[in-house]
Amino acid sequence: MDDAGSRTDPRPHLETRLARESLVDRGLVRSTHTDVELPILPDAYMVGLGGASVMDRGQQIVRPLVEEIAGLRGRYKFVVGVGGGARVRHTYRIGMDLGIPTGGLAQLVGAMEECNAILLQACLAKHGSILMAREHFWELPLYLDSGSIPIVISIPPYHFWEPPPEHGALPEHGSDFGLFIMAEVLGMKSLVLVKDTDGIFTADPKKDPSATPIRRTTAAELLARNLPSYGVDREMLVALSRARNLLRVQVVSGARRGALERALAGQDEGTVLTRGAS
Amino acid sequence: MIETTQATEKILAEIDTLAGEGAFSPVALMPETRVLKIGGQSIMDRGRAALFPLLEEIVLAKQKYPLLIGAGGGTRARHAYDTALDLGMPTGVLAAIGAYVPRQNARMLQMLLARHGGIFILHDDFEKLPLYFRLGCIPIMTGMPPFSYWEKPPEKGRIPMHRTDAGVFLSAEFLGCPRVWFVKDEDGLYTADPKKDAGARHLPRIGARELLAMDLHDLIVERVCVEYLCRARFVREIQIVNGLRRGDLLRALDGEAVGTIIYRDG
Repeated sequence: MDDAGSRTDPRPHLETRLARESLVDRGLVRSTHTDVELPILPDAYMVGLGGASVMDRGQQIVRPLVEEIAGLRGRYKFVVGVGGGARVRHTYRIGMDLGIPTGGLAQLVGAMEECNAILLQACLAKHGSILMAREHFWELPLYLDSGSIPIVISIPPYHFWEPPPEHGALPEHGSDFGLFIMAEVLGMKSLVLVKDTDGIFTADPKKDPSATPIRRTTAAELLARNLPSYGVDREMLVALSRARNLLRVQVVSGARRGALERALAGQDEGTVLTRGAS
Repeated sequence: MIETTQATEKILAEIDTLAGEGAFSPVALMPETRVLKIGGQSIMDRGRAALFPLLEEIVLAKQKYPLLIGAGGGTRARHAYDTALDLGMPTGVLAAIGAYVPRQNARMLQMLLARHGGIFILHDDFEKLPLYFRLGCIPIMTGMPPFSYWEKPPEKGRIPMHRTDAGVFLSAEFLGCPRVWFVKDEDGLYTADPKKDAGARHLPRIGARELLAMDLHDLIVERVCVEYLCRARFVREIQIVNGLRRGDLLRALDGEAVGTIIYRDG
């Protein structure tokens, strides 16, 4: 303890600019900022299929969508993520009543997405899909270059370590967030979220006939509207507002033929969310 | 075709009720566990002189409490971060490579504590903790949470916000523990880094909100820990202990107010 608080330091350091420094120091943290980070897979897209909004609706929505996805193979490099849907909600319903802590709820729900990933894989297998476990993260270039369609679950692997939520009791790092952050870290071109509404509305259009669509907005503008529900994870909007590489998220309807492809082609369709000025 | 049924709507409404203000009452899973973090740069990198006396205290503490140890990173983690930063890597890649040094440190701790029941565990082994404790083991794991590539970028910069302090804090919160211990090489929290600023003032006890409001340029714990403490369900106190002073860890685990206690205020 002789050296605690003194300027002599007996530790063998590797001499880097971070040695001896506090990684909590604001100035040091800011000094690591760059507006552009290495885009790892800049030609690839992330496509998210909603759990409740797509998978739970069965063949009427899934079959045509599978055909559309199969037709995109070879023309676009993309990863498909799936959500969990009604079974996730039921898990929350039962788990919360039982007093399962938030981290426990986060740990449980991934299994419901795994079910949907298997179902989608079975539908798309003959079109070259491959169910990708997280441990195979760095095999993505191989899958994409070979023209395969990797299928992943969406929820991030926060598991028991899900941070205490800012609002309510449910895990805040959900499926939209998970796909966004995976696309962001890989520096993909865009994220297209396929849901059952034609984009994001001012209210839930299934319940409120006066709901109007929001065609183009930034993450910050949408957050500032303080809607009761955004139709996408709030945490995803926060992450988009801080994005370095993934500057565009599009929310489209899985029931509209060709909507997914139009979104991949960069055309207006559904709602276009951008980062806005950083 | 399956419609969005009334049943689903009912479940959503029930979730809203269950998640409503004050309604959710989670179970404390293993609140008697003493979760502690051994600092990387502050303890491990100091080697035998700092670590061996601390291990003696840990062995004594194990007689009284179920201990779960999370390891920090230190200078090798900083080297890895620095190399990654230089290559333009995003936060998620930093978080992924930042996991390896704390894991090395956890393995070193395991080897040194092996004859006292030290076992190295992975995140996936968390559900086996009851077994390890029943066998009298000291489970040791990386302090890093499993976020890896899914770590979100901070507002500015690329250093992952959730590192080993955060992971250890979140472990304690999940287990339902009222307190978590961080073993470092200072007597706790100061108004500035005491290694660099001779005028730094020691803060023996401070509220989390009060501390955030002070808006200090630097902190001895990762900022997210203080933020999460404000809204945690279970963890009420973070205690920062000087691992270089003999006996402080044992005193802290016995409930004495050594070092600094950051408590949940309001």
